[in-house]
Amino acid sequence: MSEEQGGKKFDPAEQFRGVREAYMDVWAKAMGEMVNTEAYAQQSGAMLDAYLTVSQPFKAALEKAMVNALQQLSMPTRPDFVSLAERLTNIEMRLDDMDNKLDRIISGIAKPPIPQSSRTAAAKVARTAKKNGRKEAR
Amino acid sequence: MSAETTEANQFVAMQKRLQTLTRVMTTPAPIAQTPKELVWTLNKAKLYRYIPQVPKEQRHPVPLLLVFALMNRPYILDLRPGASFVEFMVKQGYDVYLLDWGVPGIEDKNLKFDDYTLEYMPRAIRKMKAISGAEEFSLLGWCIGAILTTIYASLRPEDGLRNLILLTAPLDFSLKEQITFARWTDEKYFDIDKLLATFGNMPPEMIDYGARALKPVENYVSNYLRLWDNIDNPQVVESWAAMNTWVTDNIPLAGAVFRQLIVDLYRNNRLMKGELMIRGERVDLGKLRANLLAVIAEGDHITPPCQTEPAVAKIGSADKEIFRVPGGHIGIMAGSGAAKRTWPHLNEWLAQRSK
Repeated sequence: MSEEQGGKKFDPAEQFRGVREAYMDVWAKAMGEMVNTEAYAQQSGAMLDAYLTVSQPFKAALEKAMVNALQQLSMPTRPDFVSLAERLTNIEMRLDDMDNKLDRIISGIAKPPIPQSSRTAAAKVARTAKKNGRKEAR
Repeated sequence: MSAETTEANQFVAMQKRLQTLTRVMTTPAPIAQTPKELVWTLNKAKLYRYIPQVPKEQRHPVPLLLVFALMNRPYILDLRPGASFVEFMVKQGYDVYLLDWGVPGIEDKNLKFDDYTLEYMPRAIRKMKAISGAEEFSLLGWCIGAILTTIYASLRPEDGLRNLILLTAPLDFSLKEQITFARWTDEKYFDIDKLLATFGNMPPEMIDYGARALKPVENYVSNYLRLWDNIDNPQVVESWAAMNTWVTDNIPLAGAVFRQLIVDLYRNNRLMKGELMIRGERVDLGKLRANLLAVIAEGDHITPPCQTEPAVAKIGSADKEIFRVPGGHIGIMAGSGAAKRTWPHLNEWLAQRSK
């Protein structure tokens, strides 16, 4: 089907693609403009509203029936699991805070020991403070 | 060559194309392959640390935390080897962490911006600081992740945040005629109470439809034609498959945060007006002090440039830069030009501020 044209193969599919791309660009631009109109927003909103109006009562009734049925069978219901999950998250948060505090304590303990000279100086200060305290007490 | 042989070859080629097409359309591509370890969890949220590939002495001392949107999977940042922002940054010597929000269940329908920014993020950051040993850190927020990081950075400016990178950040909602989502979610047409009363969370199918319907021809027709046109090119096919895996892997959005997004931001623009309240604290963009890089996608139809530029002007940081990149909302970070344009600039900007 293809033929040589000045050293370059003639490809009808390429031409078709060119036309197609041009058409797609025009179509895409038109659709892009269309979805950004008040009319489209209104229509899509109305469709969603209609869907929710129909489905919501069925969904609510089904959920209620399911909760009743599970309660009759002494089985946990979805709200029970939801409340349990929320409590677990709170426990997780508290554990996370405790984990952080523990990390800080451990890193504090693991700090390098105070050098001998500083330790002697600190002990001296403590001894003096103790002596002064005793004097004040007398 | 005889006519019969030619026809047989054409038949084999067509069969191969159809096999490739079936595989790509039905099998998830291998994604998110950069080695990582799980270092923290809270509810559905997970904090990952990517295994460093550069010796410690050559690494940047300031760790980087990536925060993606709530309604998509974060592995778009680590799509596939050779086309992964995470892989690129790890190789540049960053200590990279990723906060994956996970998939909210119905038990998470009451999660709000308040919880994500003041319960989850500070804890994840605390863990990152403990692991890295650094007091300062960098944050990168993309899309809704940029809203979360901006709120956090404004409320907790003293928390050690040194650098903040915002990618396609939807912060200003004043120019409603340029924001298609704002038009669709206008209270005249969109009953958010009814929607959330029915579903609890925002269903992923609706989020997906909303994102695709912004550019219906490109997303529903051209995208597949592009695959068919390049079906014999393995590189294009693998890239397309990875992106398709991410695009079709949608998750719900917690109901309460969706309500905040629509009512507080899209309808009332409370962040820009300085009226957004998070746990009783007013979010003041002027209090944000971190060095700021805002990346704007010039062809972004989800977050048009007008949603970021005015907000950057309001942010109180002394060091601010806006970087405009040709491309779309996702393409600037995961498209074919990302590795040539966006990533090198992010690295250059961050490296200077991570010493």
